[in-house]
Amino acid sequence: MNERHAKTLTMMLALPALLLPAVCLLYILFKGIPALDWAMLFGSAQGASFGSVTALWPQITGSLLLMLGACVLAAPVAFGGALFYALAASHRQQKVLLGMMHLLVGIPPIVYGLCGLIVLVHLLHWGISLLTGMVILAVIILPMLLLNSVNAINRIAVGRTEAAHALGLSNGEIIRRVWLPAAWPALLTGLLLGMARALSETAPVLFTATVFSGVAWPDSVFSPVTSLQTHIFYLAQEGANAQAVDIAWASAVVLVLLVTVLSFSASALRKIRVH
Amino acid sequence: MNIQKKIDVGLTIQQSAIKADQAHSLKLSGLSLELGGTPILRDISFALPVHGMNILIGPSGAGKSTLLRCLNLLHQSWQGDLHIMDKDVRTWPDGADALRRAVGLIAQKPSLFPCSIAQNVVFGLGRKARKQVSDEHIEQVLRQAALWGEVKDRLHDKALTLSVGQQQRLCIARALALAPKMLLLDEPTASLDPRSKQCIEASLLELAATMPVLCVTHDIEQAKRLGGQIIFMCDGHLIESGDSVDFFARPERIESREFLRWSVCDCS
Ligand SMILES: Nc1ncnc2c1ncn2[C@@H]1O[C@H](COP(=O)(O)OP(=O)(O)OP(=O)(O)O)[C@@H](O)[C@H]1O
Ligand SMILES: [Mg+2]
Repeated sequence: MNERHAKTLTMMLALPALLLPAVCLLYILFKGIPALDWAMLFGSAQGASFGSVTALWPQITGSLLLMLGACVLAAPVAFGGALFYALAASHRQQKVLLGMMHLLVGIPPIVYGLCGLIVLVHLLHWGISLLTGMVILAVIILPMLLLNSVNAINRIAVGRTEAAHALGLSNGEIIRRVWLPAAWPALLTGLLLGMARALSETAPVLFTATVFSGVAWPDSVFSPVTSLQTHIFYLAQEGANAQAVDIAWASAVVLVLLVTVLSFSASALRKIRVH
Repeated sequence: MNIQKKIDVGLTIQQSAIKADQAHSLKLSGLSLELGGTPILRDISFALPVHGMNILIGPSGAGKSTLLRCLNLLHQSWQGDLHIMDKDVRTWPDGADALRRAVGLIAQKPSLFPCSIAQNVVFGLGRKARKQVSDEHIEQVLRQAALWGEVKDRLHDKALTLSVGQQQRLCIARALALAPKMLLLDEPTASLDPRSKQCIEASLLELAATMPVLCVTHDIEQAKRLGGQIIFMCDGHLIESGDSVDFFARPERIESREFLRWSVCDCS
């Protein structure tokens, strides 16, 4: 096989990887954008009955609240865990921690949803609520955030950390003056990807946090919310109702745009090179 | 086993040679260290005078770097007893970080921080001291590290643009900026050109007049030039220590003679 054939062959293999997402994205935009207008995004949510809900802002805020709550809960634990890993853990504890996280990353989200439903909703009587959803989403994104933070710290040259120790810097100073300046783009990238992940999880949110209609703005963290994911899930089942399907597409566009913004910011940050 | 016996005998001889009433800046006895289940350092004892040059010499893998890291508690899992300035390092006032500021350690591989040359010099100082530090102080430590002439016009350039040899000297300046009571240097001239090597050696000798300097090298010629006390290590053991002139003229141990002749030693 000569050079040119190899090139053509690999290009053919790569083509689906390029085309499929592009086609999907274009199709979503093609279907969704005509259905989308200001009224649909920010109109009144009052008197909304099944399938004829025309305002999407309750769904958008619901999704964003769930996402932000999950990050606020998960990020400190993830960063703290990574610092424990890097500063205080014995070799064995490090291995156990990483092993656990790799294990948790692999568990299907619906299983977390089920656990949330059984333990938080029923046993602890939190009910279907914003808080339950935040906690479950936090648990789902925690392992990837923690592994990302550990990688970010591990990428800092060992010699530099050691030089800082040898100069008598305390652990706190090393974190602030050596690690954060070097690792913040990687940490933030991980956080953005975690946000994108929290925004796209559907099954656990359906189980634990959201209802289809009747909620615009949650009264407290103990009330249920609606979300774009839930909206799409229910509306898509109304295949015969053209308006419902239109709204599903419009919700899909909004969701895709939100996730894309997060992913693009993440990849833009990744380009920042810190020595 | 035979070798172990020889080493034990050697150690007893040395220990009796260290007079109890002599003043020492550092006194180490019976230091042993295991890393990952492998013994790396075994029962090392020596003392450093209140000032002067001390050379830690030995083949690659002898444990010289590891020993230096034990001395300023970068490794803490060792057994044994270490007193610096008559204070037990385990109970050093204000903890290990304060000890490390008092005992400057310059690593084998230079590692600078991604900021300017001047900021690197003062990196180890506290926040207040960093703000108040005078240009004279920066100049003085850079001079001591034989680097001033090359960087005096570019103090605010990124430190990482320096050559490796210059980086090594900047690391020395960075340690000196903390006004340490003692200097531990791990092959400070390994990546330097002959000219800078000469400058550094001269600076070290000058510093050694006021404080104890423990300098690792596996360059026998350099060890001869620097003089002072020689501590010869091999395979985690301290084989022989004593005055430089005596050591090079009449090494007592067969391992030392072998090392001086071939620069290698097969005690393992
Ligand atoms: N963290 C560690 N874990 C396990 N073994 C280690 C560790 N650090 C060093 N060693 C081992 O300890 C031994 C001594 O290493 P060290 O770096 O102290 O040697 P050295 O005398 O400084 O050699 P060189 O002259 O090449 O710098 C080596 O066999 C090395 O593999
Ligand atoms: Mg070494």
